Amino acid sequence: MYEIGNLKVPFNRLGAVIGKNGSVKDKIEKSGDVKLDIDSNNGVITVFQKNDAVKAMLSLNVIQAIARGFNPEKAMLLFDENMQLIVISIKEYANKNSKRISEIKGRLIGREGHTREIIEELTRTYVSISGNTVSIIGDFVSIQYSREAINMLLQGRKHKTVYSYLEKNAGELKFKRMEESFGDD
Amino acid sequence: MNKIGIAHIYASQNNTIILVTDQTGSETIAKSTGGMVVKNDREESSPYAAMKASDIITEKLREKEITDLIIRVRAPGGSKSRIPGPGAQSAIRALSRAGFKILRIEEVTPIPHDGTKKKGGKRGRRV
Repeated sequence: MYEIGNLKVPFNRLGAVIGKNGSVKDKIEKSGDVKLDIDSNNGVITVFQKNDAVKAMLSLNVIQAIARGFNPEKAMLLFDENMQLIVISIKEYANKNSKRISEIKGRLIGREGHTREIIEELTRTYVSISGNTVSIIGDFVSIQYSREAINMLLQGRKHKTVYSYLEKNAGELKFKRMEESFGDD
Repeated sequence: MNKIGIAHIYASQNNTIILVTDQTGSETIAKSTGGMVVKNDREESSPYAAMKASDIITEKLREKEITDLIIRVRAPGGSKSRIPGPGAQSAIRALSRAGFKILRIEEVTPIPHDGTKKKGGKRGRRV
């Protein structure tokens, strides 16, 4: 067995990685062909690879996704082909110790989660906002649009502009996804 | 005896570069990029281009009888984006599906211990 890396998981998400009676941990170990060593004193998870290096790398992504606020079922989607995880730090868009970070978080979520819902529905991705990060899970094509929309909000663009950007590109997205799966150029 | 090579995969938002060297990292065995296989500029970084590029790599490695690979993935890094482009994962998948034994996958994105300022100036990029 070979150690491929360790991740620091926030304490409030450590329970989600382990699951009830260790069910989530077992699932990751089984489908990722890895062994997890969880230290609950400092929240560090060490991942050991057994055979398949590609799967081991994916399970590292799954753990990071759960740590960044996704529920385990959505995070397991990353074992699929074509799915990708992107983690964006909000800190780069605000000064240190300023109230701007919580303002930006509010703008991304919207009233009763309205903005996040629109982004998720139109691009068919999953968005999670947790701590000082925004994370997206989605396939290669749609994740680009979702990321661009979130970037626009982070820079301070109006919600109206972002919605019209997404609506303009939603129809195109269906077509692009088909093109990508057939691999024509 | 198994011959081991190192596959350096550089995946940015604009292109994907795959370079295979021997174990010392100094001797090039094969190389290919996304731009070599597609005509359209904006498709250079696509997963499809990365797949085609790794097909070329596979052929060259078969000739040189390399069976095992160590993979090193990197994004632009430094003051630029630390998220690998869309080509990285599909290149790894294509290489593992081609029958090479992948020993391990390493993340080697350069991370500054505080370096220079990000490009674009204080008020950001103005389009």
